[in-house]
Amino acid sequence: MSETTMSAVETPQPGRYVVPGPPPRPRSQLVGTGFAIAAGSMAVAGALGHYMARRHILDDPGHDWLAGQSVPNPQLVYALITLLVSVVTAHWAHWASQRGERGHTWVGMAITLVMGFAFFNMVMYSLNRMEVELGAGEWENLAFAVTGLSLAILIVGMFYLGLMTLRSLGGSVGRDRSSPLGSAVFFWDFAVLAWAATWYVVYVVK
Amino acid sequence: MTDATTEAAHSTGSAVAPQAEDPTAFGLLNTADHKRIGRLFIGFSLLFAVAGAVTDALVRFDLASDSGHTVLNLETFTQVFMFTRDALVFGMLIPFFLGVAIYIVPLQVGAPNVAFARAAALSFWGWLVSFGVLVGAYIGNGGPAGGWDAGVRLHMLALAGLVMSLIIGAICVAVTTLTMRAPGMYMDRTPPFAWSALVTASMLVVSLGVVLGQLVLLYIDHSYGRHFLDGNYGIWPRIDWMYRTPQLFIYVVPVLGVAAEIVLAAARRWVFEPLALYFTMGLVGLFGFGAWANFGIAGEGADIVDGLEGIVLVGLYAGALAGVAGLLALLGFTVWQSRNRPRPHPGAVSWKRPNTAVLAAFGAGKFIAVAALVGLIGAGVDWLNIAGRGVDGNAPLRFTTWVTGQQSLLIYGAGLMGALAALHWWAPKIWGRRLSEFVGWASFAAIGGGAVLAWLGPTLSGAFTEQPQFVYNDPLLTTVYDGLIDHSAAEGLSVVGGVGVIIVLVGVGLVLLNLLVSVGMGKGAEADADPWGGLTPEWLLDSPPALGQSASLPQLSSGTPLLDAELNGSVVPAEREPSEVPA
Repeated sequence: MSETTMSAVETPQPGRYVVPGPPPRPRSQLVGTGFAIAAGSMAVAGALGHYMARRHILDDPGHDWLAGQSVPNPQLVYALITLLVSVVTAHWAHWASQRGERGHTWVGMAITLVMGFAFFNMVMYSLNRMEVELGAGEWENLAFAVTGLSLAILIVGMFYLGLMTLRSLGGSVGRDRSSPLGSAVFFWDFAVLAWAATWYVVYVVK
Repeated sequence: MTDATTEAAHSTGSAVAPQAEDPTAFGLLNTADHKRIGRLFIGFSLLFAVAGAVTDALVRFDLASDSGHTVLNLETFTQVFMFTRDALVFGMLIPFFLGVAIYIVPLQVGAPNVAFARAAALSFWGWLVSFGVLVGAYIGNGGPAGGWDAGVRLHMLALAGLVMSLIIGAICVAVTTLTMRAPGMYMDRTPPFAWSALVTASMLVVSLGVVLGQLVLLYIDHSYGRHFLDGNYGIWPRIDWMYRTPQLFIYVVPVLGVAAEIVLAAARRWVFEPLALYFTMGLVGLFGFGAWANFGIAGEGADIVDGLEGIVLVGLYAGALAGVAGLLALLGFTVWQSRNRPRPHPGAVSWKRPNTAVLAAFGAGKFIAVAALVGLIGAGVDWLNIAGRGVDGNAPLRFTTWVTGQQSLLIYGAGLMGALAALHWWAPKIWGRRLSEFVGWASFAAIGGGAVLAWLGPTLSGAFTEQPQFVYNDPLLTTVYDGLIDHSAAEGLSVVGGVGVIIVLVGVGLVLLNLLVSVGMGKGAEADADPWGGLTPEWLLDSPPALGQSASLPQLSSGTPLLDAELNGSVVPAEREPSEVPA
């Protein structure tokens, strides 16, 4: 607090304050992203919890929970590995952005986004091979819904990454100006984690 | 404002350009001013409170005969029952306090606007449109148990829209409190209402997020085969945790913040241990969390928890009660400590001459405490099978209208009473005029008295006649009294509850009339900046503050600058140049 403000002793006068001013703390976007991640985490947890509860109820010897479906795990494992690598490249881009290295930032983000598209390609291929038919059974409906939710979060994550990449292309790089990109990378971490949880519950434990 | 521009403004010492606001009504459509967004939320949520109370009265009077439906029929009873919960919780309770928070919190923490102001506007319009779609779904025989398939799914989409909109608004409020406080105002000096808004916003984000995941599953299964939904009736039991305790405690935490603001201003003293104030409010929100597991505990996962659900619920209610009782004790002790303190000016509030805001704050706090106590008693009875509850075919209290009584306590008692307190307290700051005290006292009496009746009727009926709250797989059983112990008692007590709701409705009508006359027609006395002798920073601003945001910075070293100045002779400076803000 400045000396002038501390030394002044006077009766407070309501109405003198016309205004509040701009925020001094620069992490609003990061904190807001954190809250969005919290909401998304609970949405995924709620859906997975529901899935597991139904599986628990129907988990008896005479019931075919998977309804004869076979899961192409190799492709899904490769898809997950691709996502995990994209997390590394996203953090690389953010790291470079903090140091003002624009070239590395853009290359890192480009690779991240390409890997994101590659992931979707692999997952769509796997789901097509599985020939999951909506409405054919409870597992199909639940698996489709949970998988769809996770994929939707990944799409939001890619959109967010793309948007913040455009922003960094516009010059928002450097130690004090990388927070937006960092927020998008933070969300991407969550989206990948959400997919990993979905993959483990639905396609590994089944 | 972006981080980059904020930092640039700080580094160069340049002021941020004021944001242009169209002062006409058309400007409401594209406004990004937290004051207008807050007013819109407040106004519409009060209208939806009327809709919810009207339909609640219909439901209760429909239960007033053992021969079946007296007002509605089976189909409409189910729809109206569910719409009532939607309207009271997602139409009134959450959005009202979200609106107050969007308006007041930035002023309290010294921020120029709410964080992500465009997102806050999106929150309001998304909420309004979603609520309209929800009403349309019900009208078209949709809703969770409707006969129109597309309408059922439309309801789910509308509910998802409501939840997402409110989550977005909650994030804006939480981020404002966390990241946009004026220099020098640390978290442990935050005004009580801003803190309560942060608690509720955080808990809304993590609790309502669950329902989004659930709705995805429900939507898909309803659209394709309905393998686990059991027709339409599987939807409501999976989402009704949002309308029941302990989740309702999360929604009313801002009421505790409002009560603390008003009580401390009347006492003209800060609590002796501020961390206890923040901790107790946080406790209430924290123990409201976990309601989403209700169906898993009581239904699909019952054998997993294997009887532990009773102790879990007892623990949740005990924690909430401890939080509320602790806060009220803290505030009560502060009032006792300051019993002889003079008022700073004749218009300031005090315990010796309580106004509507003080009375309503006192009443709302008590309603929350009673609700927690009632919840604890109910959970304890169910857990220990007292009076044979939950065994030998007797319904546990949580399946009876005991639950309706709890809802009445928290929605009408705490929620509407807290809304009354907030409106009377902050009307000068929101609209620049005071509300009529005479009409305010009448509203207080009507809402308080009505809420007591609306609580007692169903609570006693649930306890002594086992009147079912809502039978998910066959709503007809909700209204048929064949299995009940005493038909006449159930009928009469339903009427008592219905009369209580009607009286509450009169109270809400008086509130709206007061707003119309005092604010809309300009009959209320014009308010100066600090008409009540408030303690918190918003009372340093004009009433109401001008639209848009300005460039100068406040310097606040606590959440109670006016009290600090009064007690210590120190002063909070009027303005500080942006260049003085530490990097």
